[in-house]
Amino acid sequence: MHITAVKAQTAPAAVTIRGTLIDKKDKKTLIGATVVEIDKDKRTVAGVATDINGNYALKLKDPNDKISFSLIGYKTLIVDVQGRTTINIELEQTSNNLSDVIVLANKTTNNGLLTIDRRNSTTAVAALSAKDIEEMSSATIDQAIQGRLPGVDIAANSGDPGAGMQIRIRGTSTINGSTNPLIVLDGMPYETEIPSDFNFGTADEQGYAALLNIAPADIQDISVLKDAAATAVWGSRAANGVLVINTKRGRVGAPQVTYTLRATGSRQPRAIPMLTGNQYSQLIPEEVMNRTGTPLNTQTVKEFQYDPSDRYYYNNYSANTDWVAAITRTGFTQDHNLSLSGGGEKARYFASVSYLGQKGTTLGTNLGRITTRINLDYEVSTRIKFRTDISYAHSNLDRAYNDDARSIAYQKMPNMSIYEINTAGVNTGNYLSPLSNIQGTYPGTFNPVAMLAAGKNNSLSERIVPHFNLQYEIIPGLFRSTFDIQFDINNTKNKNFLPQIATGQPLNDVDVNNTFDGDADQFGVETKTNFIYTPHLGDKHEFVGLLSFMSNDNKSTSLQEQSSNSGSVYLQDPSVASRVQNLASSSSQTRSVAALINGQYSLLDRYIVNAALRLDGNSKFGPSKRWGLFPSISTRWRISGENFMKKVDFVNDLSLRASYGQSGNDPRNNYSFYNLYGNYAYDYLGSPAVYSQNIQLNNLRFEKVTGQDVGLSFALWKNRINVDIDVYRNRTTDLFFNGLKLPGISGFNSINMNIGTMDNQGWEINLNATAMKTKDFGVDFNFNIANNTNIIRKISEFYPNTKGDITTNGQYKTLLQIDNPFGSFYGFRYKGVYKDASATVATDAAGKPIVGLDGVPLQMRFNYPATDYTFKPGDARYEDVNHDGNIDYKDVVYLGNGNPKFTGGFGPTITYKGNLKFTFFFSYRFGYQIVNGTRMLTSNMYGFNNQSTEVLQRWRNPGDVTDVPRALWNDGYNWLGSDRYVEDGSFIRLRSITTRYTFPKSMVARLGIKSASAYITAENLFTFTKYTGQDPEVSVRGSDPFRVATDNSLTPPTRNLALGLVIGF
Amino acid sequence: MIDKREKTAMNIKVKSLIALLLIVFSTTSCNKYLTLEPQDGIIRQNFWKTKEQLAAAVNGCYASLLTDPLVENLFIWGELRGDMLAAGTGVKSNELNVINVNINSANTITDWSVVYKTINNCNTILDFGPDVLKSDNTLTQPVLNGYLGEAYALRALMYFYLARTFGDVPLKLTSTTSDADNLQIAKSSQKDVFNQVLADLKMAEGFVLKNYGNNDLNKGRITYYAVEAMLADLYLWLDQYDNAVKACDNIINSGQFTLVPGDPNWFTTVYFQGNSAESVFEIQFNQNKLNPFYNMFAVTGKRFKAALKVSAEMYTIDNINIDNKDIRGDGAALKFSDGSIYKYQGINSGSTRASSASFAHWFVYRYSDVLLMKAEAQNQLGNGQAALDAIAKIRLRANALQTSEMLVLPDDKDGVTNYILAERAREFAFEGKRWFDLLRNARRNNYARLDLLLDIVGTTADPQYQQAAIVKFRDQRSHYLPIYLYELQANKALVQNPFYQ
Repeated sequence: MHITAVKAQTAPAAVTIRGTLIDKKDKKTLIGATVVEIDKDKRTVAGVATDINGNYALKLKDPNDKISFSLIGYKTLIVDVQGRTTINIELEQTSNNLSDVIVLANKTTNNGLLTIDRRNSTTAVAALSAKDIEEMSSATIDQAIQGRLPGVDIAANSGDPGAGMQIRIRGTSTINGSTNPLIVLDGMPYETEIPSDFNFGTADEQGYAALLNIAPADIQDISVLKDAAATAVWGSRAANGVLVINTKRGRVGAPQVTYTLRATGSRQPRAIPMLTGNQYSQLIPEEVMNRTGTPLNTQTVKEFQYDPSDRYYYNNYSANTDWVAAITRTGFTQDHNLSLSGGGEKARYFASVSYLGQKGTTLGTNLGRITTRINLDYEVSTRIKFRTDISYAHSNLDRAYNDDARSIAYQKMPNMSIYEINTAGVNTGNYLSPLSNIQGTYPGTFNPVAMLAAGKNNSLSERIVPHFNLQYEIIPGLFRSTFDIQFDINNTKNKNFLPQIATGQPLNDVDVNNTFDGDADQFGVETKTNFIYTPHLGDKHEFVGLLSFMSNDNKSTSLQEQSSNSGSVYLQDPSVASRVQNLASSSSQTRSVAALINGQYSLLDRYIVNAALRLDGNSKFGPSKRWGLFPSISTRWRISGENFMKKVDFVNDLSLRASYGQSGNDPRNNYSFYNLYGNYAYDYLGSPAVYSQNIQLNNLRFEKVTGQDVGLSFALWKNRINVDIDVYRNRTTDLFFNGLKLPGISGFNSINMNIGTMDNQGWEINLNATAMKTKDFGVDFNFNIANNTNIIRKISEFYPNTKGDITTNGQYKTLLQIDNPFGSFYGFRYKGVYKDASATVATDAAGKPIVGLDGVPLQMRFNYPATDYTFKPGDARYEDVNHDGNIDYKDVVYLGNGNPKFTGGFGPTITYKGNLKFTFFFSYRFGYQIVNGTRMLTSNMYGFNNQSTEVLQRWRNPGDVTDVPRALWNDGYNWLGSDRYVEDGSFIRLRSITTRYTFPKSMVARLGIKSASAYITAENLFTFTKYTGQDPEVSVRGSDPFRVATDNSLTPPTRNLALGLVIGF
Repeated sequence: MIDKREKTAMNIKVKSLIALLLIVFSTTSCNKYLTLEPQDGIIRQNFWKTKEQLAAAVNGCYASLLTDPLVENLFIWGELRGDMLAAGTGVKSNELNVINVNINSANTITDWSVVYKTINNCNTILDFGPDVLKSDNTLTQPVLNGYLGEAYALRALMYFYLARTFGDVPLKLTSTTSDADNLQIAKSSQKDVFNQVLADLKMAEGFVLKNYGNNDLNKGRITYYAVEAMLADLYLWLDQYDNAVKACDNIINSGQFTLVPGDPNWFTTVYFQGNSAESVFEIQFNQNKLNPFYNMFAVTGKRFKAALKVSAEMYTIDNINIDNKDIRGDGAALKFSDGSIYKYQGINSGSTRASSASFAHWFVYRYSDVLLMKAEAQNQLGNGQAALDAIAKIRLRANALQTSEMLVLPDDKDGVTNYILAERAREFAFEGKRWFDLLRNARRNNYARLDLLLDIVGTTADPQYQQAAIVKFRDQRSHYLPIYLYELQANKALVQNPFYQ
C-alpha cells in the first residue's frame, strides 16, 4: 500500500479532512467507499462515503482519532491523521492472487471454551477441517468422520436414511448410562438426548436418534477431545468424550457465493443367495419328514401341494419370488448447499441454506431435510462485539414401519407370490397377506413389500437454535468477558400406521390398521458466562485464565395416542373414532449448573501446564448427591525447546504430554430421588387406585471417569511429519447400571445403581506426513491406529456373572471375569456331520467304542441326563473333548474374542499441479472373531424360514459326506454355539476414493465464476477380508459386558458413487 | 500514569468483588434452582395428607391384586400340581415341567415378586397411613383402623399363599421406600410365616368393617367375614380345629350368606355376575382390567384344559338321562365336549364371553367353602356325621349325581376326608384350591396321607417321568416350590430349598 500525504501547517481543534480514494493497481477512483472516524477502541464516531469521483470530506470530532478507509473487496486501511487535512488513499484489492499466498498460520485446538495453539495443547485432541470432510458423500457429519480419527469409533445403526450413529470415543465408559459424546457446537452444548420418559410407541429410540442436522458444508472444523483432562472442562456431561464443532463464519471481503452440489447413487451389494421357491419347497417337507418320520400332509399344508387343480393355492404358492430384490432399489441422494459470506470491518455474515433429499435403498425409506443457518458477527467497537447465530432444520423422515422388514424378506417363503392371484390366474394387484400360513402369523411374518409400501412411519421434526453471544473487553487485551445464551426448540411429530393389508389379521384384531401419533416437544435454554484473563507477563511467561459459569434448563413434553381398527387403510389418524389403545402424556424437566476455573501457563515456551476445576450441580440427583467436583491437570514439556535439542534442526517440535482428569456422567432419568405415587391405569370397584411407583434413589451419584494419558507429539522436517502417540487409561468408577435386579420382596423389579469400576485402556498413534512436495506433485499421507480394551475391575455382587445357555441352539457362553477384557465367548468345536449310523457310536480317547453295561456300544448323546438327546446320522458333530460319549458343558472351549486388536484408517492424498487431487481412504480392523449370526440363521434348517443356498449341500442320505447337517424341524442340536459360525473378522476396506479437479481461474472466469471444482467419489468399493459374511464391521450394540460380537447384518454397507460440484461466484 | 494504574487496579477489584458476590448469591440460589419436582405424579412427601388419599392408596392394594400375573400365579400354584388340569396345545415348557414334577429354580412359575408387590402396597399403608391422622381432622381413628385392617388382612392373605406354595419365605413387614433399605432378608420358617399371618388376621379381625353399605364392596373388599374365612383356612393348616369351627360359625351364624339355589340361573348368578349371596371375597376384574384367563383357556391354542378324569370320574355322567347333570360340571366348570375350562368364560351354560368381556372375578372364598372347611374341622374333631351332612347339603344344591356319591361311615376319618376332598374338587374346580387341599390333608399328622399326593402323578405326569416324580414326592420338601434363580442372585441372604440344591 502506499499513502500520499500533504502536510498541513498546524492542527486545529476540529478539522475537516478531505481526500480521494483510488485503486492501487488501475488507479481508478473508488465510489461508495466508507470513510469512518474511529476512536481508540475502534468505535465508530462518524462516517461518510466517497462520491462519484472518489472524493470525501470528513469532519473530524477529535483530532487524535484515526480514520478507516474500507470498501468491499479491498483491504481496509486505518491511518493516523497526524495533523493532516488532506489524505489521499490508494486501496488494494483483497482477492488478487490469493492462490499464491501460502498461509502459515498455526493450527489451533479448541475445547469449546478456550482456543489454544495446537503446538501448545497439553491434551489428546484429534481434529478434522472442512477440507478433510468436504469430499465425502455423507449426509451427516458423523458419517463423515467415521474412521478418520484414531480412537473414535463410529458405526451406523443401519444403512437406511436417517438412521442414527453410535459415536464412541476411546471405547464405552459406561455399561448402561448415556454413551453418546457431548457435542459442543460453536461453544455451546448441543442436546442430543431423547427425554427418558418419552414413550416411543411403535417407534424406537433409534428412530429419534438425534441426527445432528447440521449441513456438512457449513462446518469449519471438528475436534474430538479424547482424554479426560481435555473433557474435564465439560465436567458432568463429558464422560463419553466431547465433539467440538465450529461452523463457518463470514470473513472480511466481497460477498462470496458458493454453491455445493453432491449427488450420490447407492446400491446394495449382492444379497446372500437364498433358495428359490422350488428349492425351498423341497427342503421344508424333508425337514418335517426328518423330524416326524411321516411326510408333510399337503392336504392341510397346501402351500406345498403344487396341485394345479387347486387353482388358488397353485397360483399363489408356486412362485419363485425374490423377496429381497422386491424391497430393494437403487438409492439416490442429492445434497445442495448455497452459502453467502463476506463482510466489512464492522459486520460479517455467513448464511447458508441446504436441501438434502435421500431415497433409501429399502423401499419406502426417504429423508428430506432443509437446514438454514445465519452466522452474524458485529463489532460495535474493539471492546464490544456480538454474534448472532440462528439455525433451523426441518426434516421429514420415512422409515420402515417394522425394522424387521428386511430380515422377514430373507426368511419369507419364496414359493409365495407377492400379489394375490385369483383362481383364473390373474394378478389382482392386492398384496397376498394370508392370516396365517406355515410360517405363522403377524408379527412373526408378514408381507414385507406391503409393509414397506403401505406401512407408514414418518417423523417430522423442526429444530430452531438461536444463539446470542456478547463479548466485552473489560480491560482491553487483559481481561475479557463473554456471555452466551442459546435456545433450543426441538419438536418432533411421529406418525405410524400399520396397514391390515400387510398383516392379514382379522378385522377385530388390535393390530389391524393400528395407528399412532406422537408429539415430543423440547425446549432448552443454555447459558455460559466466561471471564478470560490474559496478562502480559513478559516473554518468558504466558498465561490464560478462564472463569466460566454455565447453566442448562431442558424441558420436554410429549403427547401420544394410539388406536386401532379404523375402518379403512385410508383412515390413518388415531383421532378418527376407533378403538383407543393408548393415550399418554408426559412432561419432564432437567436443570444443571456449573462453574469452571481453568488456566494454562507456559514457561519459556517449553513447560506448559493446564489445570481446571469444575463444579457441577444436577437436578437429577437428590440434595446430598447433587454436586460433583471434576478436577484435571495436564502438562506438556517441549523437549525440542531445550538447549541440547537446538542443534537437532530436523526436529521442529518434540513434546511429552501427560494428563490426569475427571469427568462425569449423569443418569438419564429425572426425579429418581423421589418416591412417586401414581394411579394404576385402571380402577378397582369404580374408585381410583394409587400406589407407590418406585424406589427412591438416595444413593445414586455421578458416574465418574478418571482418565490418565501420556502422549508424545513430534513434528519433523519442517512439519512435514507430524506424529501423536498416546497411551491412556480411563477408569470409570460408580458405574451406572439401569435395571439391576432387585429382590422381589422389595415390591419392585429393578433399580438403577452405581455398581462398579471399569477400565478402558489402550493406545493410539496418529501420523500425518507430507511425503513429497515438488512444484507439480504433492503427496500427503495420514495413518491412524488404535487399540482399546475394556475391563471390569469391580462389580456389585448382585450383577450376574455369566450369560448364555450353551445347551440351547444358537447361544454362546460369555463370562464376566474381573480383571479380564470383555468380549470372549465360549462354545463347542464343530467337527462336521455324522455321516452314517456307525459314526454316531461314542468312542473313548483311544478311538475305541464305549460299551454300555449290556455290552452294546453306546451312541453319542447330548447333555445327558438333563436333555439326553441321542445323535443320529446327519446330525452336527461336536468335538467330545473329554471323550465321555456325552456332549455337554464339559466340552465347551474358548472360541474367540470380539474386540479388535487394532482399528484405524489410512490413506494418501496426491495433488498434481495444484488442481488435480486424488484421495484414498482405507479403514481397517484386525484380530477379532465374530459370530456370523446371519449364516447361523440362514442355514440352520430348523424352522420354516427360507435358507441360503449353503443348505443345498445338506446331508440327505446315510453315507453323504458334507459339513452341512440334515434338515430337522424344531428338533435336535444342529446349530449350537460352535466354531462353525465363528470367523476371523479382520478386514481392510477401501472406504472412499476421490478425484477432484479444480478448474483453473482463467478457464472459469469467462463464465463469470470465481472458482469451481468438481469431484467424483466412490465409497465402499472393496473390502479385503477372509470373512464370509456380509459385513465384518460389526457394530456391537449397547455396552452389555456379555455382548458377543454377532453379525446379524443382512446387507453390507451400500456402495455409493457421488458426483460433486463446488462453485464460487 | 501511576494514578491511572491504581484506578485500573481498583476497578478490577470492584469488578471482581461484584463477580464474587454474584457467585455467592448464585450458589445459594442454585440449590433451589436445581430442585425440580415431577409434574405427572405426586411425591411421597406431598401424599398422605387427606383421608381421600388414604382411601385411594388402600384401593391401590386391591388394584394390585389385578396386576399380571398375580391371579394367574394363584391359579397355577393351586392347580398345576393338582390332578384336574391338563396341558393344552399352547402350554409353555415351564408349565409342562411342573406337570411332570421336573421343577428347577429357573422355572418362571417360581417367581413370587408380584405377590410381594401387593405386600409392599399393604406395608406402605401400615407405615404411612397413621400419619394422615395428623393432617386430616376429618379422619377418625376407627375409620383409619378399618383401612389398616384391610391392609393387614391382604398382607396376611398374600403371605398365606406364599407359605403354602414355597414353605419358608422371607417376611418383609415394612415398606420399601429407598435404595438405602435393607433388602437382604433371610427366609422365615413356614411356621413363623403362618404365625405372622395369624397375628395380622387377628389385628384385622378387630378392625375391618362388617358392611361397607354396598353389595359389591362387601364382596370385593375385605370384610370381617372374609377375615374369618381366612382364619378358618389358616386354622386348618395349623391343625387348630376348634378355632376353625369357631371362625366358620362366625360366618354361618351371621345370616349374611346362603347357598344360591341350584337352578338354571345358578352359574350366571355366581360366576358371570359375581358378588352373589354365597360370595365371601372375590377379586374383581373389570372392563378396564381384564383377567388373564381368556388367553389361558379360551383361544384355540389354549394353555390348559381340564384333565380327562374331571368329567368321567369327578362329576360323572348320567348315561340314562344325559340332561341330568351335576350343575357344577358340564357347562360350568368345564365343557365336557372339548375339555375346555369354562368357569371364567361362560355367561351361562350355552353362551360364552367375548374376549373384551373376560373380567370374571377370581373367587377367593365362597360360602360353600366355609361349610366344607367346617366339615373338615369337624371330621378331624371326630364329628364325621356333621361333615357328611355338610357334604350332603352341598351336593343337594348342586344336583350331584348318584354316581359321584361315596358311601362312607361317619367314623371313617380317612374316608370322610376323601369325600370332602372329592366334593371340594367338584365345588371349587379351577378356583386354585386343589393342590392346597391335597397338600393340607396329606401333611396332617406327620404326612399320614402322603398317598393323596402320590396318587396324583400317576394321572398327570408323562409315563417316562412318573417313577421319578413319585420318588420326588416322597420327599416332603419337594411339595414346595424352589426359590427363583434371580431371587437368589439378588438376595444373598436367601438359601435355596435343600431339595433343589
